[in-house]
Amino acid sequence: MKAIQVRKNGGPEVLEFFEDLPVPEPKPNEAIVKLSASGVNFIDVYQREGRYKVVLPFIPGQEGAGVVEALGEDVTTVKNGDRVAWAGLLGAYAEYASVPAERLVPIPAGVSDEQGAAAMLQGMTAQYLAYGTYPLKAGETALVHAAAGGVGLLLTQMARNIGARVIGTVSNEHKAKLAREAGADDVILYTHQDFEEETKRLTGGKGVDVVYDSVGKTTFEKGLNVLRPRGYMVLFGGSSGAVPPFDLIQLSTKGSLFVTRPTLGHYIASRQELLARAGAVFDMVRSGKLKLRIEHTYPLADAQRAHRELEGRKTTGKLLLIP
Amino acid sequence: MKAIRVQRTGGPEVMEFVEVPIPQPKSSEALIKVSVAGVNSIDGQFRDGRLRTPLPFVPGQEGSGVVTAVGPQTKLVKVGDRVAWSGTLGSYAEYVASPEQHLVPVPASITDEQAAAAMMHGLTAHYLVNDAHKLKAGETALVHAAAGGVGLLVVQLAHAVGARVIGTVSSEEKGKLAREAGADEVIVFTTQDFEAEVKRITGGKGVDVVYDGVGKATFEKNLNVMKMRGMLVLYGMSSGPVPPVDPAKLSEKGSLYMARTTLAHFTATREELIARTSALFAMIASGSLNVKIAKKYPLAEAVEAHRDMEARKLAGKLLLVP
Repeated sequence: MKAIQVRKNGGPEVLEFFEDLPVPEPKPNEAIVKLSASGVNFIDVYQREGRYKVVLPFIPGQEGAGVVEALGEDVTTVKNGDRVAWAGLLGAYAEYASVPAERLVPIPAGVSDEQGAAAMLQGMTAQYLAYGTYPLKAGETALVHAAAGGVGLLLTQMARNIGARVIGTVSNEHKAKLAREAGADDVILYTHQDFEEETKRLTGGKGVDVVYDSVGKTTFEKGLNVLRPRGYMVLFGGSSGAVPPFDLIQLSTKGSLFVTRPTLGHYIASRQELLARAGAVFDMVRSGKLKLRIEHTYPLADAQRAHRELEGRKTTGKLLLIP
Repeated sequence: MKAIRVQRTGGPEVMEFVEVPIPQPKSSEALIKVSVAGVNSIDGQFRDGRLRTPLPFVPGQEGSGVVTAVGPQTKLVKVGDRVAWSGTLGSYAEYVASPEQHLVPVPASITDEQAAAAMMHGLTAHYLVNDAHKLKAGETALVHAAAGGVGLLVVQLAHAVGARVIGTVSSEEKGKLAREAGADEVIVFTTQDFEAEVKRITGGKGVDVVYDGVGKATFEKNLNVMKMRGMLVLYGMSSGPVPPVDPAKLSEKGSLYMARTTLAHFTATREELIARTSALFAMIASGSLNVKIAKKYPLAEAVEAHRDMEARKLAGKLLLVP
């Protein structure tokens, strides 16, 4: 089958395209999915680089959608022909993937395969952040970094749907426009303004209830400064680099703050929770409450270009690879 | 008036029993005749210089007494009111001048000792169980230093909510106190490994919340005994400060939450302060919350009180009586 394989860690050039890798055999409790689309995510970059360790060689890609073609032993949760999607398991940058059936989510009518691939990882991430980690309430204020990024645009929409006020940070005017369209009440161009100063000004000095931070290193400490007393710092990524070890006493002097560093896996650990979160996201997509921006699709063979463009921070919304 | 004064920082012996002028209440302050002053570990931190305040000073942050004079702008209390306070430095004395917003009314149904003993530790226990992590029936809480000042109160409040309480203590004797307060399980950490024990007690699942005033000595293991998405509330550091924390650990150990809290942020408005003290005093009056008083010392024996506090042998609140 056609697939991308990483044989050594490094830059985008280590994403090598092969035409003849073996089609996986389903193990017990797994199903073979013929992929229609796979999603590109920042975690793919971290795994390709080796920042998050994966045994070499591996097929990257944590998110995919397609049709079930074969079942391993004991599979009862899906059958051949089902349209399914998944997130959090390697192997999606390929024509076929063998996925534990417990992790496959049915894609409902009214949602396309591409939307399925686009919605899983970032959609469930936004959903668990806004409804799980810090359940937003109407009238609260959230600071969302990278508000025009994959998760950012979805999180902003969900927060707006809940009735929370969103202050988004972005790097340029085009992204500011997208963030506003998604529902951000205020947008800070952090390249021109100091987001700490601006956020304090926008909240009349009070601070925000929660900071959703996928940027990490360059934003974490200043984020602590814009939280109201007893507010929450939700650090869910590190696109600018990992946050180095920090002195806890800051949390107390800055207002008895709460910190969490969640990962998606811990919010979809049981099949029940996985189906609930994915179901909630698909429902929002189908009803139009959540708009997925799928602006960049690439042939699977062009995975290198996809990564270059993602890392160049020129893209907005979702990037998909089509086998 | 008689008072304890610290002229230079150091061990308990730097506290001198002296005669000093009675303070004058400033415009929004009240002068209180102190009935009882509470002794807290934070007093030791000011005394030995770990926490800074200009010298010389009168230590003590907590007490109960009667208002004997008010400043010209004072509106919240009047002469004759029975009050208690926490957060006003100068309490180890016959009189203390306190900003009026720190003063809470004390009902006739509780004693001066109970009121003084309930303030700092009681407010802390109350915010921990109600706000830092709102404990629910059926949850499991790990309470370190379960026989300590805050610990015994957290155990009682947690038990009252219907949570399962695992307490850690340093001796069998303290374990007995923790059990009497409502702890379902007690771990004597000097002879047992609390990590292994908590895992055994919870069938490997871990606890929903850890309430920890210990800090450095327990931190790493705390992360290992929590459920996925559990909460670690660090409200003190009696064993020393926790070294810098790598956020990746929080995610690795189960997308855990962590807070480092101080009382001031949970009693930031008078409304909130009085809501908490009213609740606490009502529970004490009805007998549903017991504030254990270990020993009362004459004000002149403050040095001995600090020695006993630092030796950690007594379980319960230490009080000074002017």
